[in-house]
Amino acid sequence: MQHNSSEEHHSNGVAGRNEGQGGFSRRLTDEEFDRYSRQMIVPGMGKEAQLRLINSKVLIIGAGGLGCPAAQYIAGAGIGTIGIVDGDIVEPSNLHRQVGHATSRIGMMKVDSLITHLRDLNPLPTYVPYTFPISHENAADIISQYDLVLDCTDNPATRYLISDVCILLCKPLVSAASVQKSGQLIVLNCPPTPQGKADKKYSPCYRCCFRKPPPANTQLSCGEAGIMGPVVGLMGVAQAGEAIKILASGLHLPSAISGTTTEDDPHNLIQPTLLIYSYDLNAAPGPYTFRPLKMASRKKNCFACGENSPQTLTLEGIKSGNPNYIQFCGLQTPKATLPAQDRITASAYHAARESGQLQNHILLDTREKEHFSFGSIEGAVNVPFGKLLMKAATIKRSGGDAEEILPVKSAEDPIFVVCRRGLDSQEAVEKLKELGVDQGGKRKIVDIIGGMKAWKEEVDPSFPFI
Amino acid sequence: MSTPKPAPGHFTILYFATATSFTGKNVESLPAPLSLRKLGDVLEERYKGIKEGVLGHSLVTINLAYVDIPEEGEDDVIIKEGDEVAIIPPVSSG
Repeated sequence: MQHNSSEEHHSNGVAGRNEGQGGFSRRLTDEEFDRYSRQMIVPGMGKEAQLRLINSKVLIIGAGGLGCPAAQYIAGAGIGTIGIVDGDIVEPSNLHRQVGHATSRIGMMKVDSLITHLRDLNPLPTYVPYTFPISHENAADIISQYDLVLDCTDNPATRYLISDVCILLCKPLVSAASVQKSGQLIVLNCPPTPQGKADKKYSPCYRCCFRKPPPANTQLSCGEAGIMGPVVGLMGVAQAGEAIKILASGLHLPSAISGTTTEDDPHNLIQPTLLIYSYDLNAAPGPYTFRPLKMASRKKNCFACGENSPQTLTLEGIKSGNPNYIQFCGLQTPKATLPAQDRITASAYHAARESGQLQNHILLDTREKEHFSFGSIEGAVNVPFGKLLMKAATIKRSGGDAEEILPVKSAEDPIFVVCRRGLDSQEAVEKLKELGVDQGGKRKIVDIIGGMKAWKEEVDPSFPFI
Repeated sequence: MSTPKPAPGHFTILYFATATSFTGKNVESLPAPLSLRKLGDVLEERYKGIKEGVLGHSLVTINLAYVDIPEEGEDDVIIKEGDEVAIIPPVSSG
C-alpha cells in the first residue's frame, strides 16, 4: 500500500479533522467526489476506504475474458494505479466475452485496446501497459510494483508462476479461472505472509490447493473447449469485487487480521473459500450452481510457501528457469505417437477417395457433436472422443464385443479417424487397436494427420473449421 | 441453498469441470460408509482411467470443506451416510 499523498489529487483538497496520515488525510477532489459517490455511501465504505482504493496499485495479468470485466470494475472503483499484462492481440472470436475490447480495435494489442476502453470509463487512474506475456524472467520485476495481483491468465504454467512470485514478494492474489461452463474463484495469500511461515495461521497459495497440474492432454483452453461469456464474465467481476473489498478494508495488511480470526470464523481468509460456478445450459439455477468450498490453510510441506520452501523456491531460481513451469505442466509440443504406416495426410486421404482407390471404408470423426454440427467430410460418422473412451472402457471391463464401439457394422472395411487437430484421433486409433478392432493387424486403422484443420488447409479452404 | 438428500445408506458425490465430462454426470449417490482412501478405487471401478485423468490433480471436499486424502500411515477419514463429497479439478483457462 502506498500511503504517500499524490499531488495531482490535491487541487482543492484540505486535510479534514480526525484523519490519518499521508494519502488518507486529504479531501477528495470534486471529480472524485462525484464519480465515486455511489460506492462511497455504501455502509462500510466511506471516505477512508475510497482513499485506500485511490492509493492502491493493482496488477491485472491477462486482458481476456476474466481481465476485461475485472479491469472495468477495478478502474470504475478508482484504484489509483492499474497495470495490465498481455501479449495477445484482439481477435473477432474474443469479443463475445472480452467486453473491454471492440470490433473497431480488432488487431490491436489487447492491453492497448483495454486501456483505451478504461480511460474512457475513468480517466483518473494511472494505467501501466505491459504489451508482452508474463514470464519467469519478468514476473518478479512487474509484480513487485503492485499491492495486489489478479490472475486472469489462461494456462496452468502461468498460474503456478504467478502464485509462486506472489508468495516470494508477499502479495495477495485473487485468482479466477473459467472454461466452457465452469468457473472458479479464490483469494490466496491474504493477508500476505512470508514464505516458510507455515502453520495453520496463514493463508494458502495456489500450490497448497492444487498441488499438481492436470495432465497436458486434459488441459482445456477456451479456444479448444469453448467458453460461455457470462460464465467467465461473472468470475472476472467477482474477482474485481474481492480485490476492491480487500483493498478498501485493508484486509491485505497483516495487522488487519492477525489474531482476530479463528478457524471457526466462516469469513476468515486463512481458510479461504473456493467459489465454484457451474452453468447448466439445460436447467435453471439450482442448489449446485454456486458451491462455496472451504479450503485448508497453508500446507506445511508446500513447495512454494511451506516450512522448507525457502530451500526449494527463490526469486533468483525462478528468473533463471528453476522450477521449469512448462515442464511441470507437461506442455511440450505434442509429438506424433503413431508409426507412419498408421497415418495419412488429409490431402493423400482426399486423393485416395477421389481416385476411387478407397471405396468402402469407415470415417470416424471424433470431434464433439457441436463441432461436427458445423460441417464434416462426406460420409463421416460422429463418435465424440469422450464417448469413444467411455465405450472402450466399458467394453474392456465387461468383455463385450469390441465391434460395438463402431456405429457402423462392417468387419473388414478399413477405418479412418479424424479429429479437430490430429491428437485425439491418434489416441482413438490406439484404443481401437487395443480392443482388437484391427483384428490383429488384418484390418487397417488409420489416423488422418492434423485433423479437420489440415483438411481445411490442404483440401477444402471453405470448410467451416471451428 | 439446501441440496437433495441421498438415499438411505448412501452419500452424494458431485463432479465438477473435467470430472463432469469424464463421468458424464453432475451428481450421483454411492454406498456409505466408505473410507476416503478407497474413494479413488471405487470411482476407478466405475470410470476407468479417472484416477490418472482426473483424481490425481483434483481436490476433494466433504460437506463443503477441503480434505486431504490420507496417505499410508495417516488416519483415514470415513465418508458417512448423507455426506456430500465433491471432486474439483482445477480450471486453468480464462
